[in-house]
Amino acid sequence: MKPDFHQLPGNAIDAQSSQSPERVAGLIHNVAQKDRQAFALLYQATAPKLLGTVLRILRDRAWADDVIQDTYLKIWQRAEQFQDGKSSPITWLVSIARNGAIDELRKHPAGRTTNSDELDEMPGRQISAQEQLEEQRAANQLNHCIDQLEKDRQDMVRLAYLNGWSREDLASQFEQPVNTVKTWLHRALKQIKRCLES
Amino acid sequence: MTERDDLDMLVAEYVLGTLPAPEREYVETRRREDPKVETLILQWEERLGRLADEAEPVQPSPALFAKIEKALDRIESTPRQPSETLKVVALRSQLNRWRWSTAIASAAALVLVSILLFQPQPTPQTQSFVAVFQHNDEQPAFLLTVDLEAQRLNIRPVTAEPRPGKSYQLWIKADELGPKPRSVGVLGNDFRLDEGALSGYEPALLKEATFGISVEPEGGSPTGQPTGPAIHGYLYPTDGNNP
Repeated sequence: MKPDFHQLPGNAIDAQSSQSPERVAGLIHNVAQKDRQAFALLYQATAPKLLGTVLRILRDRAWADDVIQDTYLKIWQRAEQFQDGKSSPITWLVSIARNGAIDELRKHPAGRTTNSDELDEMPGRQISAQEQLEEQRAANQLNHCIDQLEKDRQDMVRLAYLNGWSREDLASQFEQPVNTVKTWLHRALKQIKRCLES
Repeated sequence: MTERDDLDMLVAEYVLGTLPAPEREYVETRRREDPKVETLILQWEERLGRLADEAEPVQPSPALFAKIEKALDRIESTPRQPSETLKVVALRSQLNRWRWSTAIASAAALVLVSILLFQPQPTPQTQSFVAVFQHNDEQPAFLLTVDLEAQRLNIRPVTAEPRPGKSYQLWIKADELGPKPRSVGVLGNDFRLDEGALSGYEPALLKEATFGISVEPEGGSPTGQPTGPAIHGYLYPTDGNNP
């Protein structure tokens, strides 16, 4: 029998525990066994995160909804490929959603216009209290490493990862040739990698 | 910089999201073929993954899950499709984005295909390239093959149709040639182009170059630069038997 999504214990579940990495990983494993109820629970626990991620990139609700639909169908089909040791479950799910959104954006760049207001969203790191509690150390480490970059490059990394900006978008915003942007991005990524390893 | 560093940076940019569509497609193809690439991708996803914490969650509409369930019902009720009909066997690519200035990009709206160094398994010394030009991301419109050693090209239409009063024009662009695309030639009525049209270009340049096709007034662009509507270029899977 298919679970009725609306009867799922929505707010009854403590939000934090419903999104704990262990629970999400367990649900992905159950989805790999074609468990539709686990699929509904996984959706309930993670869809807001994924939709927030995709919407920030595409800035269009209907478009983002389409990508989310596609994302969960991929999750259903690829759940068996998830490996605990190699990926954290949320990152694995977010990556499928982000890849879908960025593929869409690169194929239809006219679908949205980049907006210099997006820069204003960059400086403040806003995360919810519950996320702050979760794996705060890891989050701090990445942020710490990004904070070591020059200000422009911090913004570039965030605009690219969070808002889906292409090299060309960054080049015109920062008034640099595309090749320079590419070089800067490579340097920034190498610096982040070194910093995380140290 | 070693090849491994190059690959690591290509993957890093893939995960960051800054790669253009053809290079993204290239990484995704390599990912399916090569577990090493898959591992690099997962590593970069883990490194950068915490950035996603900065995106605020957004509650989906209740209708969305119902739609997903319906789509899932459809998938589950139909027998599994044969996986991809076209499988990439071995692709090695010197991908080079078409670096239009933004002005040219908006004026000509011409998207060009990165050329794909394609390496048939049994004869790895073959220096052939294949580029595919697509209309509206759908059917391939033209197929361009370049024999690097002989500097010979062959272009053939796949779905492209003659347009009354219009000509198709092939362009080449490479860093060494400056910021603007250079005309390779105007395709004749039979879509043919002199196969030696690239003989003036060094193989090394051809390997790095990108190509594009525009629709121009009959006889070719009056300005010496692409003026017509876009023909989208896209990496296209191919195999060693069908260069």
